[in-house]
Amino acid sequence: MSVNTYEFIVGGIIPYLAVLTFVVGMAYRFKVWFKTPQPARMTLFPAPQGSTAKAVLAEALFFPSLFKGDKLLWCASWVFHATLVLVFVGHIRVFTGLADSIMLAVGMTPATIDKMSLTSGVAAGVILLASAILLLARRLAFARVREISGVGDFVALLLLLGILATGDMLRFGPHFNLAQTREWAWSLLSFSPVVPSNPIFLVHALLALLLVAYIPFSKVLHFGGIFFSQSALRR
Amino acid sequence: MSEKQEVINQITAIDKGPKALKLYMEICARCGTCASVCPVYFGEPSAKYNPVLRSDLIRSIFKKHATTTGKLFGSLAGAHDYTEGEIKEWVDWFYSCTGCRRCATYCPFGIDNSVITRKGRAIIDKLGLTPETMLKVIKTSLETGNTDGASPEAFRAAVAFLEEEMKEEHGVDIKIPIDVEGAEYFYVPPSGDVLVNPEATTGLAKVFHALGMTDKWTMSSCFFDGANYGLFTGNDADMKADNKHCVDEAKKLKCKVMLMGECGHAYRIMKMMMEPGKWWGDLPFKVMNCMEFTAEQIKAGRLKFDKNMNPDPVTYHDPCNFARSCGIVEEPRDILKATCLDYREMYPNRGENWCCGGGAGLSAMDSIYEFRMNVSGKKKVEQTKATGAKYVAAACANCKRQLTQLMEFHGEKVAVGGVHDMLSRSILINGKAAVRTDYV
Repeated sequence: MSVNTYEFIVGGIIPYLAVLTFVVGMAYRFKVWFKTPQPARMTLFPAPQGSTAKAVLAEALFFPSLFKGDKLLWCASWVFHATLVLVFVGHIRVFTGLADSIMLAVGMTPATIDKMSLTSGVAAGVILLASAILLLARRLAFARVREISGVGDFVALLLLLGILATGDMLRFGPHFNLAQTREWAWSLLSFSPVVPSNPIFLVHALLALLLVAYIPFSKVLHFGGIFFSQSALRR
Repeated sequence: MSEKQEVINQITAIDKGPKALKLYMEICARCGTCASVCPVYFGEPSAKYNPVLRSDLIRSIFKKHATTTGKLFGSLAGAHDYTEGEIKEWVDWFYSCTGCRRCATYCPFGIDNSVITRKGRAIIDKLGLTPETMLKVIKTSLETGNTDGASPEAFRAAVAFLEEEMKEEHGVDIKIPIDVEGAEYFYVPPSGDVLVNPEATTGLAKVFHALGMTDKWTMSSCFFDGANYGLFTGNDADMKADNKHCVDEAKKLKCKVMLMGECGHAYRIMKMMMEPGKWWGDLPFKVMNCMEFTAEQIKAGRLKFDKNMNPDPVTYHDPCNFARSCGIVEEPRDILKATCLDYREMYPNRGENWCCGGGAGLSAMDSIYEFRMNVSGKKKVEQTKATGAKYVAAACANCKRQLTQLMEFHGEKVAVGGVHDMLSRSILINGKAAVRTDYV
C-alpha cells in the first residue's frame, strides 16, 4: 500500500464511514430508546423541584449525583468531559472558521483570536491528557473499579489516550499548519478529499474516527443514554 | 423448554422494554460509583457483592443474545453465554442485593440496579428456585390475606387485647374499629404492627380518638396487611393478586382514603405502582400514608403531647422504600420531633440514608442471618451508634426486624420500634399521657 493510498483511506474514506456509522447508529439508538415503553413509574426521591428536563440537563452538564457519590471521580470526569467539549468546539472552529467570523464581528482582532485559541488549546490538551490518565489510573488502582473493568473499558480509554497524545504532539511538536485541516474538512464536504500528509495527523484522525464509529456500539453510549435513563428516574 | 432457553428468552425480552432496564443493559460506564455507595459492598468489598458484577449476570447474557457487538465479539464486548445450572448461583447473588436504590441516587446515569436485581429474581422465580421463606410468605398472604396467616378471629382477639391495653393506659375506651363500611379511612398496616409491634397501631388509634374521629376509620378483619412479597420475588402476577385483595376490600368498605401504615414497600406498591399504573382502573379512594395524616394533624395543632414521656435520645432510620421511592421523609420527623424530647438525625439521612441491610425481603430470611448481621447491616450499626440514640424509629416492619437483630447481635443497647410508637407513649388523651412503665 503506497503512502498515498494509506492517506486516502484514512483521510478520504474513513471519515465518511465513521460519520455515517455514528449518525446511523445513534439515530437508531435514539429511535429505539424513544419508543421502548416504560409503563411503570420509578421516581427517585428527592424528586426534582423544577421540571424533569431541567434536572436531567443539570445531571448531563454538571454530574451532581456523581459529585455526591465520588468526589475524586467527579473531579477527573467532569474536568475531562468539560474539556472534551471545549476541544470539540475548538476543532469545529478550526474546520469551519465560523467562530472566527463571529468573533471578528464582535470586534476582536485576528491576532487576539489566535492567541486565545493557542492558550486555551494548549491548556485543554494538557488537562485532557492528564484527566484521562487519572481515569485510567483510577480504574487500575481501586479494586471495585478494577474488578468490573473489561476489554471495552480499556479500548475506549486507550483509544482516547492515543487521540490525545497525537493531538498534543501536533500541538507541541514541529509546526503543523492547521489551515490544511480546514481545507481537508471542506474538501470532504465537496466529496473531493484533499488529505494533509502529516503522519501524526493521520494517526490522530484515524483514532478519532474509530472512536466516533465505536460510540454507538460501546459503553460510550452513556453519551446520549444519560438523558433517557435520568429522565426515567426524575419524573 | 430447557432452563437455558428460558433464561435467554427472559433476558432477550428486555430488548422490548421496560425502557430503563434496556438502557441499563447498554449504557453503564463501569465507573464503580455504585460499589462505593452500596451497603452490601461496604460490608464486604468482594467481587460477588459488586453491583456491576451482579447486574452483569443479566447484562452479559443480554449482550450475547440481543446485541450485534456481543454476537460478533463475544467476551471482548462483555458478552457471555448462560451455562446450564448457573441459576443456582444466581439465587445467592440476587438475594444479596437489598434493592435499596442507593446506587441509583449516586450513579451519574441513574442506573437503578434494584431493577436488574428484580429481573434476576423474576427469572429465579420462573425456574422455581425462589428461597423457601419468600415462597411461604407469598403463599400464606395469598391464601389468608395476611403474611402471618392470622385468621379474622385471631385478628379480632389481638385488637381486643390492644383496646384493653389502651384502656389501662388512659382509663378511657379507645376503639380500633373493624369492618366498618362507609368509614372514611381504611387503615392498612403491615400485619406485624398489629400482631408483633402493635404500638404503631395503638398510636394511630389514639390519634383518631384525640381528634374525635373514631367513627371515621376502620381496619379489615380479613385484609389488615399491606405487605406484598411479590415485589421482592419479581413475580408481578403474585404482586398484583396480593394487591387486589386490599384494593377490593377498600372498595367494599367504601372508604375515601386508603391509609397505609408504617410499611415502606406496601406504601410504594400502592402509591407509586398501583395508583399511577392504574392496575385496577380509576379508584374511588385515594392512597395516603398514616404518617402524612398524623403529621398534618400535628401541624394544625390538633394533637397535644407530653414529650417528657420519651426522654431518651431518639433517631429515625429512613426506610429506603419511604425515602428514596416515595419521598416520605419529613412527616416521620415531624411526628418524632413533636413527641420526643431529644430527637437526633442520623447521617447521612433522607434520600441518602444507608439501607438497614434487610431490604427487598432479605430481613425475613433467616438463612442469610450472618450475612445480614456482618455484611449488609454493617454500615447501619455504625450509623446508629454514632447518633448515641437509645431508640431508633423505623417506619417499616422489615427494617424493624433487621435493626432489632442487628442491635442484639452487635450488643448495642438500642431499642427499635416504629414512629407512631413514640406518639402512643406521649400523646395526651383528656390531658393525660399513657400510664405505663414497662416499655422495652
